[in-house]
Amino acid sequence: MSTSFNLAWRLFKHEARRGELTIILLAIVLSVAAVLSLSLFSERLQGALKSRSAAFIAADAQLRSDDPINEEWLARAQEEGLRTAKQVATRSMVFKGDDMSLVDLRAVNDAYPLKGTVNITDQPFGEKRNTAELPQSGEAWVQSRLFQSLGLSIGDSIEIGDGTFTVTHVLVDIPDAGFSVFNTDPIALINLDDLEKTAITGPGSRARYVGFFAGAVGDLESFNTWLLPQLNDDLHLWRTVEDDESAIGRSVASAERYFLLASLLAIVLAAVSIAVAAQRYAQRHFDPVAIMKTLGATSSTIRKVYLFQIIFITGLGIFIGLVIGFIGQQVVVSLVADRVDVSLDVWHWRPLLIAVATGATCALLFSLYPLLQLFSVPPLRVLRKDISANLRSRSIQFVASGGAIFLLMWMYSRDLKISAILFVSGAALVLGLLGATYILIAVGRKLGSGRMGAWQLAWARIKRRAMDNSVQLISFSVTIMLLLVVLVMRNDMVSQWRSQLPEGTPNYFLINITPDIQPELDRHFADNGVKIEEFYPVIRGRFVSVNGEGVNTEVSKEDEPNREGRRGLGREANLTWSNTLQKENEVIDGNWHGDEDKQYSEGWFPVSVEEGVAERLNIKMGDRLAFNVGSEIVETKVTSIRTVNWQTMQPNFFFVIHPEAMAAFSPTYITSFYLPTERKAELTNLLKPFASITMFDVDARINQLREIVDQVSVAVEFILVLVLLAGSLVLIAQVQASMDERRQEIAILRTLGAKGALIRKSVIFEFVIIGVVAGFMAAMANELSLYLLQTSVFQMEASLHPEYWAIAPSVGAIVVGMLGAFGCWRLLTLNTGQMLRNMV
Amino acid sequence: MIKANAVTKVVDTSEGSLQILRPISFEVKSGESVAIIGASGSGKSTLLGLLAGLDQVTEGEIFLDGEALHSMNEEERAILRGNKVGFIFQSFMLVQSLTALENVMLPAEIAGLDNPKALALDILEQVGLKHRAHHFPNQLSGGEQQRVAIARAFITSPKILFADEPTGNLDAKNSEKIEALLFEMNREKGTTLVLVTHDNELAEHCDRQLTMNAGKLIETTGANTMNKKEAV
Repeated sequence: MSTSFNLAWRLFKHEARRGELTIILLAIVLSVAAVLSLSLFSERLQGALKSRSAAFIAADAQLRSDDPINEEWLARAQEEGLRTAKQVATRSMVFKGDDMSLVDLRAVNDAYPLKGTVNITDQPFGEKRNTAELPQSGEAWVQSRLFQSLGLSIGDSIEIGDGTFTVTHVLVDIPDAGFSVFNTDPIALINLDDLEKTAITGPGSRARYVGFFAGAVGDLESFNTWLLPQLNDDLHLWRTVEDDESAIGRSVASAERYFLLASLLAIVLAAVSIAVAAQRYAQRHFDPVAIMKTLGATSSTIRKVYLFQIIFITGLGIFIGLVIGFIGQQVVVSLVADRVDVSLDVWHWRPLLIAVATGATCALLFSLYPLLQLFSVPPLRVLRKDISANLRSRSIQFVASGGAIFLLMWMYSRDLKISAILFVSGAALVLGLLGATYILIAVGRKLGSGRMGAWQLAWARIKRRAMDNSVQLISFSVTIMLLLVVLVMRNDMVSQWRSQLPEGTPNYFLINITPDIQPELDRHFADNGVKIEEFYPVIRGRFVSVNGEGVNTEVSKEDEPNREGRRGLGREANLTWSNTLQKENEVIDGNWHGDEDKQYSEGWFPVSVEEGVAERLNIKMGDRLAFNVGSEIVETKVTSIRTVNWQTMQPNFFFVIHPEAMAAFSPTYITSFYLPTERKAELTNLLKPFASITMFDVDARINQLREIVDQVSVAVEFILVLVLLAGSLVLIAQVQASMDERRQEIAILRTLGAKGALIRKSVIFEFVIIGVVAGFMAAMANELSLYLLQTSVFQMEASLHPEYWAIAPSVGAIVVGMLGAFGCWRLLTLNTGQMLRNMV
Repeated sequence: MIKANAVTKVVDTSEGSLQILRPISFEVKSGESVAIIGASGSGKSTLLGLLAGLDQVTEGEIFLDGEALHSMNEEERAILRGNKVGFIFQSFMLVQSLTALENVMLPAEIAGLDNPKALALDILEQVGLKHRAHHFPNQLSGGEQQRVAIARAFITSPKILFADEPTGNLDAKNSEKIEALLFEMNREKGTTLVLVTHDNELAEHCDRQLTMNAGKLIETTGANTMNKKEAV
């Protein structure tokens, strides 16, 4: 043991010092550094984004209940190390003298909010600032709209139920305000201790009790496990940040999947580079192994020596990789810190473990075949240099390397689907490439015939080194493909996010517009240079039955839908009527009623139902839905089911009825407009003539959304750059490795008097040919991977990217050709005699 | 010390089997020096490989110091080589990433000898290279590299030394020096020497010359003896 160890250590020490281990060390360092920095950064970023998202529910998790939250549960949560807070929410009338208005009343205890901040301002519609304070007993903070509708001033008294409160601040928003165009009531925030004196939460009230919880993920999970069996589905709803299906939640989720994908690809890239480097490492040790065997070393000694060597190299590579990865990540975090709110204080162990595991698994499993080759080198090589490794079957190589990649992907992603997709398309690529290489070589025989010039030399080499070239081609293609996948996914994803909130997205909604003031409003806004979007008629209707059966209030209670944009479905639904299908709505079943020119005299009218609500209320095509509008019953029949893009900041409706049904009713209208944030001060003036109209401000919300999307995009771009960098280094390593093999041939050609230009040209041609084919194959495989990823993982629409069919081969030719030229240039600067001596 | 009995070597090629060695028999006595000479492709290196246990015979028997090499597997042959055989090659075959000293220590360490470093320094001194002990092979001249190889070959005091064209890569001056060193050390240590060479002068220094021709052995005894007889 000690002989093998000493020998291995000596070889390692000298080879490391003499730079002979640079490539394999670099490959391991690269893999560990890339995986550590990517996963540490993405974990920190996810943490940051999650806490941003957590602000939207004011906690890491919420328990909503129709009954007061059991105090024992809160006590238990605190025992588990969680922080807790309480809120009671209900709709209530607020009086100021004879004036009254409905508010969304929130009574909170002192611990509220656990995440996010309460924002206030000194005057209605003023600049917001956050505060750590909450209303004291006897105080109420109310939103600007209530100031507008009740003519309030700071210091006025208002009555809520039996209680009297002094208005001390203008409330701008609370973290868990929710967002809905129809959630029209302004919020009034009071202290929970004051709720009792209002006497509005007695039996029959429709109060919602919310318990807020925040703390470490593990504590939260363990509390949830304890709590879950005690919850009653009819009364309780447990909600965490992950359940957030809002635009932010979805962006964060798809960004997470992207980080995961990028990290997986970094692992594959690292594995490819280690495989290339290990092959080269093994080949360079054929002679020493033959010498040692000749001098009497047994197989077990040789095995031990090289296993120790690999362990030393891996250990050193992992160590340097961790240091570089950590520093790199710190640097990037500090660079983007002003744009992305990432905390440097949190340390995550998982990325460290993953990075070490990646380095070790890749180094050991990818070295397995080259090492087995090395062990099989016969001692006779000392007499006959043409004798090389004596290992025929490559199946162990495919099993070990394929298995290693799949194992790592699965281990890392804990997602079988995403791992399988990448693995299968990778395997398909490899098989396709093997076929392509042989076709290429066959074609090349014809192309490369004729008098021996650079072009012919290039083809001759490709032909002769068919197997080596196919391996090289595969590694180039896989690298280019992975880079393309990361690049294209990033472009598609970021543009999809940005398109959700394009510039000019309406940031204010106007509701309660009566038909008589509609033209005047339109004109007034136009005069002030503000464009009003479409007016939608709205009427409140009570949803009474489906096929004659009364609707269960459980499924239609006011606050049931938690998804952003879905509030408003309740006993009362907002109905609209139109013959025109709204933007970003798509009929998925039946026919849009606007397409049929028909009179309805059977007593029912067509209605189009949104897919999600149809599913929840179990509404099918042809069902009869009855709505109570005013004092009349409107009978409808479901003639179409629609999907609605809730991400668009436009009024969306669950039910769209044929206009004929609503002819007899007088609606109000809802519309939206865009006003740049810097023109906010003009709002009061704009709305002054229309006291009856209620304005709903989503500007802050949109800005917040956009900010998060921007932050996520910056992070995604950083990761893209990291992966590109890793990929480029892999390409360089591959070209360098193949240059070794060319060294001998170049030496012979030089000796025979070939001019440098001829050799250089022939090598460049060879690499250009390989680059073009690799680029083309990569572009094809890229389409396959993207199709699978977009449809199965990212829930995006699949798209073709024909531009890359041309870009990838061109870039492949240029980059690989340039790398080849550079490597060759180095070889050509060497003295021929020196090269020949080194060959011996 | 070495006994070859009807040794043949056949290799498979894409065009069928190729007989490289026809049945060859001969003996080498302990302490004797034998040169195997012959034209390129005559099979002398193949014979050397078989005698040294680097390759396996197709048919026939080889005994090395009484041990049946032909019936050993690669592992057993490796141990035998480690214990009883030393090698010198035309292309020196030093491990490039080890220093001269470490290259010389290598067989001693493999054979598990005590204090390999002291042994190596001692023998490096004998070949006049102690001052170059910490140089890597590429920092040494061809002649120096071969002296390191000679030191490496003798460090385990092998019973038999196989040398494949030991002066083939050296100029005349260095060849002479190496030749002198090789025979001097061989004499000192009482080693049996089998060397393959093109160089008649070098061959003449040996007690006996075996001439190979097209896979057959023609034995010549003495330097310029014309008395050839074909071996069976």
